[in-house]
Amino acid sequence: MLTFIKNSKGLLGMNARNLSYIRPNNLQGAVHLANNKLRSKEALFKADVPVPRVYSVVRNRRELEVFKWDNLPKSFVLKPNCGGGGKGIKVIFGQKKDQSWISTEGKEVTIKDLKDHIMDIFEGFYSFSGISDIAFFEERIQLLKTLKPYSYKGIPDIRVIVYNNVPVMAMLRLPTRESEGKANLHMGGIGLGIDIATGVTTNAVMHDQLIEKHPDTKLKLSGIKVPYWREILEIAIKCQEVSELGYIGVDIAIDSECGPVVLEINAHAGLSIQIANLSPLKYRLQKVSGLKIKNELHGIRVAQDLFGGEVEEEIEDISGKQVLGIIEAIKIEHKTEEIKENKENGNGKLNIEKPEEKKEIKPEEMELKAKIDTGADISSIDKSLAKDLGYSEIIDEFDELIKNIDIDNASTKEIIDERIKDELARWGDNFDTVIIKSSHGTSYRLVIKMNIILSDVRIISRMSITDRSNLEFPVIIGRKSLGRFLVDPSKRSKASFGT
Amino acid sequence: MSDIIQLIASQGVSIETIYLILVLPFVATLIAAFRQLIGVKSFGIYTPLVLTFAFWAIGIKYGIAIFIVIFLTGTAVRYVLKNFRLLYMPRMAIVLTVISLAILVLLAIGGYLDKSGLASTSILPILILITLIEKFISAQVEKGFRTAAFLSVETLIISIAGYYFIIWDQFRNLVLEHPEYILLLFVINIFLGKWTGIRLSEYLRFREVLKNVDK
Repeated sequence: MLTFIKNSKGLLGMNARNLSYIRPNNLQGAVHLANNKLRSKEALFKADVPVPRVYSVVRNRRELEVFKWDNLPKSFVLKPNCGGGGKGIKVIFGQKKDQSWISTEGKEVTIKDLKDHIMDIFEGFYSFSGISDIAFFEERIQLLKTLKPYSYKGIPDIRVIVYNNVPVMAMLRLPTRESEGKANLHMGGIGLGIDIATGVTTNAVMHDQLIEKHPDTKLKLSGIKVPYWREILEIAIKCQEVSELGYIGVDIAIDSECGPVVLEINAHAGLSIQIANLSPLKYRLQKVSGLKIKNELHGIRVAQDLFGGEVEEEIEDISGKQVLGIIEAIKIEHKTEEIKENKENGNGKLNIEKPEEKKEIKPEEMELKAKIDTGADISSIDKSLAKDLGYSEIIDEFDELIKNIDIDNASTKEIIDERIKDELARWGDNFDTVIIKSSHGTSYRLVIKMNIILSDVRIISRMSITDRSNLEFPVIIGRKSLGRFLVDPSKRSKASFGT
Repeated sequence: MSDIIQLIASQGVSIETIYLILVLPFVATLIAAFRQLIGVKSFGIYTPLVLTFAFWAIGIKYGIAIFIVIFLTGTAVRYVLKNFRLLYMPRMAIVLTVISLAILVLLAIGGYLDKSGLASTSILPILILITLIEKFISAQVEKGFRTAAFLSVETLIISIAGYYFIIWDQFRNLVLEHPEYILLLFVINIFLGKWTGIRLSEYLRFREVLKNVDK
């Protein structure tokens, strides 16, 4: 008993978590942002952190009445905006012939069921303080093959606790039969401790008890190598910067196509992670407190040095990152039809895109040569090419709008955005603007989020629209789109170009 | 009895009233200590507090019996209503309706069995018990049955502890003799509010971690 009390010094209890870590580090504004899923998604998206896309938002009964159910894809996730702990989340993974869906529990879900569920969300059943809430439909993450055997009908996710820009502790959470496909621990999910240095799982807990094997699939749970480990840590640190939460729990899932995406950020991360890692958290927090962390890589290095279990020195883990040459063949997906439909409705809120098209009917793709330009911040695409890809209406509208706006060196993006804010709001999340300053002067450009396939990796890239008709390459890929690649200038692209 | 208490009592305020007002902050502090030191959770501070005083007014035996009847009826009605897809407020109104009827039946049975204790209890605390059930039922909807059941039992335990605290004679004499002891509660609560130590329940919860800490 005495050793118990002595050992408990490094343990993070509820009192200390709330008083010493959450209260001083997570200010109210940041907590509000974290508790509001749509707002935090937007903030993360703006900072180029990958998040699952939102199909549509239902704000009130009137919007629910006129909601176009046909526009929903075959699989999606329905979430309350301000819910916590995985409550109120409905995962739909297939559609039946008639107008109904199948939930992950294998139950049939009708429009009436979804409506009732959304009404419950409106009533505030799942929101933090019971106040009325709004609902939204989100892209369902596609399960990564390597993690499939470990998950019972649902998507595993990775919880990373970041403090002072250092990822101090992490766990992999697996859904079980009992947790009904959700990965939340108090609902009966399994938590696996992860060695920060290597991304390999160590111990497993379920209901705060240590276990050896998955209760449903009977697989051994230690020694699983979490894919994209470095990227996951980088993303987690970035989430802390964006959210301004000093003590944050970041939930990251791995999509089979897009790689790691942030599911949500938490201002009140739970304490069970200590059991999964068999390691007291306060001890680690005290170790990194006060350190000056220069950047994400530094944060990761500190974490690996301080908390890495095995001494397997993986100094620069470049596996998993594709190497690109200076000129690469890329494919750009054509604009999907649904956005056009929205425009006709004049309703920017129902921002439905059908992602299942990428599975069922492949969207039209354009294949072309692109210059990989690490000197450019943001990617750009030639205007006439973007028009060919289906964006001509918006590009023309944008040109018309900014025709009379004087853009000089002193203009900031915010000032000009203000003048066309109504249109920006109507166009929705896929469109944004950017100011580009170069030796040629300042230009104000439209930015469109496009799906591009670069070296067989599908990424969502923000492309600024500009006239490149007199240049050799109609597309340049800038740094912000290259996070998952390494660039080797001497490499010649193996892709042969059809002219 | 202290002079102040005597002065107030001489104005026609009953000793019982004075005592209950004085003891309320003590019970509130007790609930806070349960949470911060032991780790017993409850539905906030209001629910266990009111439950404590309802038990005091009804008597612990009938108090718990009525609470259990209300709780079980409420839970059962919630399960039945689950399939009807009603909105929250009307659904809760139906739950309360059925509970009221159940209490009426309980009182009738009490009368039939000649249990005068039940019939003679004042109705106000019973009404409070009935309305408190909303917290317990809505927790089942929000947090799931397992968590809600744990919370309910913990709330009940705190309230029973609170009940035995306020009927404790020595304590009663002490408070009436030295009402100034109430000032101590500020000190205790500031300590509780600043305390960052491990809760008793957390030693249990994290026992595996504690066993494995590197020496």
